[in-house]
Amino acid sequence: MTACLRRGMLAALLLGTLSTAAWAQPKTVGVLLKNVSNPFWDAAAQGAKDGAKAAGVNVYVLSSQSDADVGPQLDICNTMLERKTDALVVAAVNPTGLLPCLAQATKRGIPILDIDSNLVQDIAEKAGVNVANSIGSDNRQAGAQGAKYMAGKIQKGKVLLLEGAPGTLTAIDRAAGFKDELPKVAPGLHIVASLTGNWERDKAANVTNDVLTANPDLAAIFASNDQMGLGAVEAARAAGRSDLIIVSVDGIPDAVAAIKEGRLAASVAQLPYLFGYRGVETAAGLLAGKTYHPWKLVIPLVVLDKAVLEKGTDPMLKYVR
Amino acid sequence: MSQNATVATRPVKIIRVGTLRYESLAVLILLCAAMSFLSPYFLGLHNILNIFLATSVIGILAIGSTFVICMAAIDLSVGSLLAVSAVCGALMVKPLHLPWPMVIVVTLAAGGLFGLANGFLVTHGRIPSFIVTLGMLGIARGLAFILAGGRAIYDMPAPIVWLGQGRVLGVPVPMIAFLAVAVIGHFVLQHTRFGKYTLVVGDNVMAARVTGLRVGRHVTKVFALSGAIAGLAGLLQMGRLNAADPATGIFFELNAITAAIIGGTNLFGGEGSILGTVIGALIMGVILNGLNLLAVQAFYQQVAIGAVLIIAVWLDRLRAGAQEA
Repeated sequence: MTACLRRGMLAALLLGTLSTAAWAQPKTVGVLLKNVSNPFWDAAAQGAKDGAKAAGVNVYVLSSQSDADVGPQLDICNTMLERKTDALVVAAVNPTGLLPCLAQATKRGIPILDIDSNLVQDIAEKAGVNVANSIGSDNRQAGAQGAKYMAGKIQKGKVLLLEGAPGTLTAIDRAAGFKDELPKVAPGLHIVASLTGNWERDKAANVTNDVLTANPDLAAIFASNDQMGLGAVEAARAAGRSDLIIVSVDGIPDAVAAIKEGRLAASVAQLPYLFGYRGVETAAGLLAGKTYHPWKLVIPLVVLDKAVLEKGTDPMLKYVR
Repeated sequence: MSQNATVATRPVKIIRVGTLRYESLAVLILLCAAMSFLSPYFLGLHNILNIFLATSVIGILAIGSTFVICMAAIDLSVGSLLAVSAVCGALMVKPLHLPWPMVIVVTLAAGGLFGLANGFLVTHGRIPSFIVTLGMLGIARGLAFILAGGRAIYDMPAPIVWLGQGRVLGVPVPMIAFLAVAVIGHFVLQHTRFGKYTLVVGDNVMAARVTGLRVGRHVTKVFALSGAIAGLAGLLQMGRLNAADPATGIFFELNAITAAIIGGTNLFGGEGSILGTVIGALIMGVILNGLNLLAVQAFYQQVAIGAVLIIAVWLDRLRAGAQEA
C-alpha cells in the first residue's frame, strides 16, 4: 500500500471517528407540560417518552402544577435552559407567559415546538421567539365536533357550556367552536349558561348543580374537557338527572370508562398521547435538519361514543391512553 | 393604695431581635452541597443567578410577611394583592395610554391601599387578621379577574419589562430588588422605631399599649406596608411575564409565610430576622431549582418543602428547650 493511500485511509478513519463521535452524542429533548394531575398531560408525557425511544433521543419531562398560573412554569423553563437541552417541546399555560424564556432558547438556536396550540405564531415572533411548529388538534374543531354530536342526539332544549380556565387559548377556542357550530346544526338548542369549571371536576360539579337548580329542565351539557365532564356526570347523577346528555373533550381513560358505562355520552378524543409522541419525534427531526410543513401539524380528532368503543375497529383507538 | 398594684402581672419577655436560625443556614449550605453533587449544572454562576431570579418575587413577599408575622398577625392576601395591583397598574397603559411611570405609581399605590383596607378591618373591625386577609384573598383575586376581563393584559412598556427581565452587569434586576428590599427591611426591623414597635406589639400587645404605643395605628401601617410590598412584587412579576396576569400569584402567600418561618421568624410574634427570611426563601428556591434540574416530579418538591418547614421549626424547639433546661 502506498504511503499516500495509507495517509488517505488514516485521514478518512479519523474523519469517520470524529463525525461518529459527534453523532454518537444523543440529543436531549426537554418537554415542559402543565397541570401534572390531569391524565391528559400524563398521556402526553407517556407519548413523549415513547417518541424519544423511537427517535433515538434522550428526553426529560417536567410539569408545572397549575394550568392557570404561568409564573412557576416560567421558572421551570428557565431552569431547563440551565442544563443540556437541545430542543424544547412546550405546552404553555398561556400564549405570552413563557415568551421571555423561549426568546432565550431561540437566541441559543434551540428549536421550539408548541403542543396543544398554546402559542400564537405572530405574538411569539414579535417577542423574538421562533416556534418551529405547532402540534395539536384544532380546539375550535373539537368544540364544533362536540356540537355536531350533541345535535345528533338532541335537537331542542337548554344547554350548559362548561368552559376551561379563563384566559387560556384552549378554553377560548373550544368554547368558541361549540358556540359557533351549535346554532348551525341544532337551532333549537340554546345555551342558558356558559361558566368556567377551571378544567376541574369539583368546580364543574358545583357549577352543574347550581345551573340544574336554576334550570330543572336542562337537557344537555358540553364540557370543554373530560375532567369537567366527569364532574358534571357526578352532579347530574346525584341530582337524579342521569338522562342528561353530556359531551366532553379529551378522551382520557376515565372518560372512556364513563362512556362504556353509559354515563358520559361522548368525548371528542384529542389523543394527547400523540401530542407527546409527535412532539418529540418532530423535535428529533428538526435536530437532524429536517423541516416540517405546514407550521401547524394537525393531530386528528376521534369522537368516542359507546358505539365506536364497542366496535373497536377505529385505527386511532390504539392512541387513546 | 400602691400604684404598682394595677400594673399587669404578666412578665414581659425580652425581645430577641436579630434571631437568625443558624440551623437554616446550615440546611441551606447542606442543600447546595447535595445539589451540586447530584447535578453538574447546579453550581454554575448562571444557575445561581437563575435561582435568585426565581426566588425574588416570593422572597420580596416573604420580607413583607416577616413584618406582619413579627407583629403576631398574618397576611394571607399577598398573593392576590400581587395580582390585583399589577392589573390596576397595567390598566394605566391598556387601555388608558398614560405614561409608563403611572404604572409603577398605581401598582404600588393599589397594593398599599388594599393593605390599608386590611389594616382598618383588623383594627377598627376588631376582626382577626387571619379572617380579614383570608377574605381579602378572595376579594382581591376576584377583582383582579374582573378588572382584567378574565385574561392576562399583555405587552407592557419597555421600562416595566426591564424591571422583570433586565440585567445590570449580568445580575437580574428582580434579584437586585430582592436584595435591596432585604437590606432596607433588615435596617427597618432592627434599627428603627417602626421595627421595634412591630416586634413589641407582636411580643406583648398589652405591654405595648401600657407604654403609650398607638397599637391600632401601627398595625394598620404594617398591613399597608405588606400591601405595598405585594404591589412591588406584582410590578416585578408583571415585568417577568410582560403581562399583568390575574391568575398569577396563587398560593404565593403560603410560600412567603413558609420562607419567613423557616428563616426563624416566630409565628406567634416578637422575634424575626430578615436575613433568616432570605435564607428561608433561598432554601425553597434551591429545592425547586435542584429538583427541576434533576427532572424530579413536582410532587416530590412539595413534600420536600413541607418537610423542611417542619424540620426547621422542630430544630428551633429543640434549641429553645435546651436553653431553658
